Amino acid sequence: MHRPTLGLAFLCVFLRTDQLALQAQEFKLFDRTVQVHGFASQGFIYTDDNNWLTMNTSQGSGAFTDFGLNLTSRVTDRLLVGAQGYDRNLGQIGQYHPSLDWAVADYRFRDWFGVRGGKVKTRLGLYNDTQDLDFLRPFALLPQSVYPTDIRDATIAHVGGDIYGTLSLKQGLGDLSYTVYAGHRSDSIYSGYPYLLTQFGTHFTSFGGLQYGGDLRWNTPAKGLLIGASRLDQDTTGKGTSVSPFNPTAGIIPYSESSKADWTNQFYSQYARGKLHIDSECRRYVRDQLIFGGTSENLDDVRGWYVAGAYRIIKRLELGSYYSRYSITTLDFGALAGIPPNQTDTGLPANHVYDKVITGRVDLNKFWNVKVEGHFMNGYGSSTYPDGFYPQVNPEGFKPNTNALVLKTGVYF
Amino acid sequence: MKRRKILLVAAGLMGFASPGTFASDIRVIGNPSIKADTISATELKSVFLEEKLSLADGTHVEPVVEKGGAVHKAFLLEYLGKTDDDLRTYYSTLVFSGRGSMPKRLGSDAEVVAYIAKTRGAIGYISSETTAEGVKTLAIIHSGNSAERKLMTRVEPAYPETLKRLGIGGVVRLLVTISPKGNVENVALLGGNPILGESAISAVKQWVYSTSHSRTVAEVSIAFDSPR
Repeated sequence: MHRPTLGLAFLCVFLRTDQLALQAQEFKLFDRTVQVHGFASQGFIYTDDNNWLTMNTSQGSGAFTDFGLNLTSRVTDRLLVGAQGYDRNLGQIGQYHPSLDWAVADYRFRDWFGVRGGKVKTRLGLYNDTQDLDFLRPFALLPQSVYPTDIRDATIAHVGGDIYGTLSLKQGLGDLSYTVYAGHRSDSIYSGYPYLLTQFGTHFTSFGGLQYGGDLRWNTPAKGLLIGASRLDQDTTGKGTSVSPFNPTAGIIPYSESSKADWTNQFYSQYARGKLHIDSECRRYVRDQLIFGGTSENLDDVRGWYVAGAYRIIKRLELGSYYSRYSITTLDFGALAGIPPNQTDTGLPANHVYDKVITGRVDLNKFWNVKVEGHFMNGYGSSTYPDGFYPQVNPEGFKPNTNALVLKTGVYF
Repeated sequence: MKRRKILLVAAGLMGFASPGTFASDIRVIGNPSIKADTISATELKSVFLEEKLSLADGTHVEPVVEKGGAVHKAFLLEYLGKTDDDLRTYYSTLVFSGRGSMPKRLGSDAEVVAYIAKTRGAIGYISSETTAEGVKTLAIIHSGNSAERKLMTRVEPAYPETLKRLGIGGVVRLLVTISPKGNVENVALLGGNPILGESAISAVKQWVYSTSHSRTVAEVSIAFDSPR
């Protein structure tokens, strides 16, 4: 079967499955209940000018599919085990190479102290660990300034462990939830960064490294108000081959890059009361990378923030909107200094993406939704950093504005 | 035609006033393996959000939720501050990120009672009118005595003359059970001078609170300031 049709076939099976079947989701194994849950989505994007997210969206593209399936069982009162498989295709990204999304054993000694180990979703901001689960939100695409879907691999999970817990504060001051973690991140070579670098003749065979950080969130005494902060540090190494930028006639040479500094700070707040949901987040990501075996250095300073709101008008219809603002500065040092020009003016379309979004979500039933979303973007970001707009699918160069229509349907059980 | 309209309006009003429209009283029930007889509103919320797997006394608990209905809606709004959609989203977040499992969802009070009766640590909610055998009722304690059940009528306790003359005072702690309608059903002395406690109990029995969906229990402290 042709690969893109796999996702569509999977989705069709879901859509043809009636509600009763969707609720049949557990079985017994060694006298323990095993829950089965899954989701699938299919999107379509049309843009008026630039091609977006590695797809030929100016022609209209449906290469926007993902699905996942998980099994979970509470083995004892305090021990939870489970795993989820995930697969996606987003233009040139993912390409239907399935991955183990997470696989954890989670033991909670006390409510304020638990440990989980295995491949664990990384907690960063409000939605990093649930960014694939679009059925949880009104939006078809999360704000790309903070949750760039083309480089989800960079932050999505780590093979290692978490320590976590929730502490109830006295005198009705709400509660505090914390997570600290450390592990190894391993990117797919079908991710946005490896794809971006193919324009320079660089091909990764591996990319990953150490990832550690923490998250602290406060459920405040004000009903529905959550505020929090996350920190993520990484030390990654990428290996592969490349064309030398210093001597392109020299042929293919071994390529390596590694982190000199790589950190993310993220601050967020969420207000949810009844039918109203308001989120706001800001993220700063600094990535100082030693490239070409350390002969050059590339420093990216990426800043993004958004404010999003949604209101459920009637039982089956939710409307939402967000404003997302992304900017990047890029500096190069060493042998590569001056070859790509330094970019420091974030007012230029080449160094920012400002995105105004409106969306409507229709819930056809409890398990199936359809979304219609409009994006009105100014800017196209850096051509040396993966931020949605890729030179490979825009060979004639970029135009400053892009309007996008996103249609998406998804099911889950 | 006019008569038909009047009938329709009357039928609409009857529908609006039917008992099912208003969320009736909620009773929180648990498997008899649960040692506690009371649960705080905060603890109840944490249990149903899977933030807590055990109660303060160490008993393991497992939340059970209903699939829908007036009691379900009222419980979610009153104790979790969520709608049914919010709750499904919340549980899905846990399930699909490997942080939790979906709680048992059952279709009726009878199913909830039957499941809780046979499942160690199970805790759920039903209409207070439902017969519930083989389970225990957990009274809900609201933190503070006025934050969630507003005190509408307060009668001050009399300071016994003898104790006042002797300069004996202090704080009396009471556990007050308040009916859904707001009147005080029961008062138990938790701590303090027993004579002062007796006076406080007879006063508190006359207190009236705001109405609620369920019977609640509040801890009340009353100070008797010694004149000396």
